[in-house]
Amino acid sequence: MDYGNYGNQYGSTSFGGQVGGMGGGMGGGGFVASQNSPSGGGRNYENSSLRPVTIKQLLDAQMADGSEEFTIDSRAIDQITFVGQVSNISAQSVRITYRLDDGTGIIEVKVFSPTEGDHVTSRPNVEENSYVRVIGKLKSFQNKRHVGAHIIRPVTDFNEISYHLLEAATVHLYFKHGPPGAKDTSGSAGNMSGVQQGGVATGGAGGGVSLGADGLPPGLSAAARKVYHTLSNTPQSNEGLHLQDIANKLHMDAAQVGRAGDELLEMGLIYTTVDDTTWAILSRDTLF
Amino acid sequence: MPGATPRVTQQYLENFRDRVVRIVGKVTKLNGDTAIIDANGTVKITLNREANLAVGHAAEIVGRVQPDLSILMLGSTDFGTDFNLNAAAAVVEATHRWKEIFYGDD
Repeated sequence: MDYGNYGNQYGSTSFGGQVGGMGGGMGGGGFVASQNSPSGGGRNYENSSLRPVTIKQLLDAQMADGSEEFTIDSRAIDQITFVGQVSNISAQSVRITYRLDDGTGIIEVKVFSPTEGDHVTSRPNVEENSYVRVIGKLKSFQNKRHVGAHIIRPVTDFNEISYHLLEAATVHLYFKHGPPGAKDTSGSAGNMSGVQQGGVATGGAGGGVSLGADGLPPGLSAAARKVYHTLSNTPQSNEGLHLQDIANKLHMDAAQVGRAGDELLEMGLIYTTVDDTTWAILSRDTLF
Repeated sequence: MPGATPRVTQQYLENFRDRVVRIVGKVTKLNGDTAIIDANGTVKITLNREANLAVGHAAEIVGRVQPDLSILMLGSTDFGTDFNLNAAAAVVEATHRWKEIFYGDD
């Protein structure tokens, strides 16, 4: 909060300096300030994500000087989610504070109470000692960290606890060591990345159609396989490739590529980006 | 990390003497103020008054590891009959292997 004000003042100083356009000395000052402003000033929506974390990671998260952003594993965090056990609930007039313990640490989670007239957000029945899933943002107030939660809901299937902790570990390892399978990080995960990296099944018509061969499920048409491999092997922006580009590359009929795309869409292997006929691979890499 | 309650299975108990831990297991026996759970090995639990364990259910016990490697219960949660204990054991392995995000000894 304090940092925010500081950043604003700083930004406007540099702006004033540049508009004034006075002496060389002023210009110098403006330059220094403007170097800072991209990180401090504008909000960076590229980092918008929902990251599964442990409470220990939240308590250990770094905050760079002059920045409002927390980082975990050198990555800026935006929304975070975790699962924990409620050890205390205290309701104030406008918000409820929950103390959550996930075994790795303890942190307070604050949720604003729905005011009367609010449409039914039906506050879930969160009780002491129950397990809950929280989605929110890490905040710092007077050097004390808490989570401002948008959502807090009871965990009804306790396997979600195991799932969450493994997911947090997976994402942590992803940021620390890169995608699985690049080296020998872990056996089973390594196989999965083969899906992306698997060699092109030449022709593919009658060829080995098992999952191991090119990482695609059986039952896909040869055309769908070709389209998939074109998508995975052609350099592209995050918008993916347009149907027509693929058709040109493969010397295939556009209608045929369209049908192949439908197959892949239906199987959840690709997704549409800017329009219905521009596709990108839905891979593990795009999930993080 | 203060306040952390490391997740363990029976094998890890001796490394956590006198520490407060979380252990999940299947309740195999209830007998007065003690219970026996299977957490990749048999563990004796000394129950507190709020204990609400049921034989055949999975349960998470938070408690202090005693010198004889039994556990003095501080709290418990019934995890029901659909809880995957193999996955929970995998979680325990993960938490001790990548402890930097779980219990770090720094």
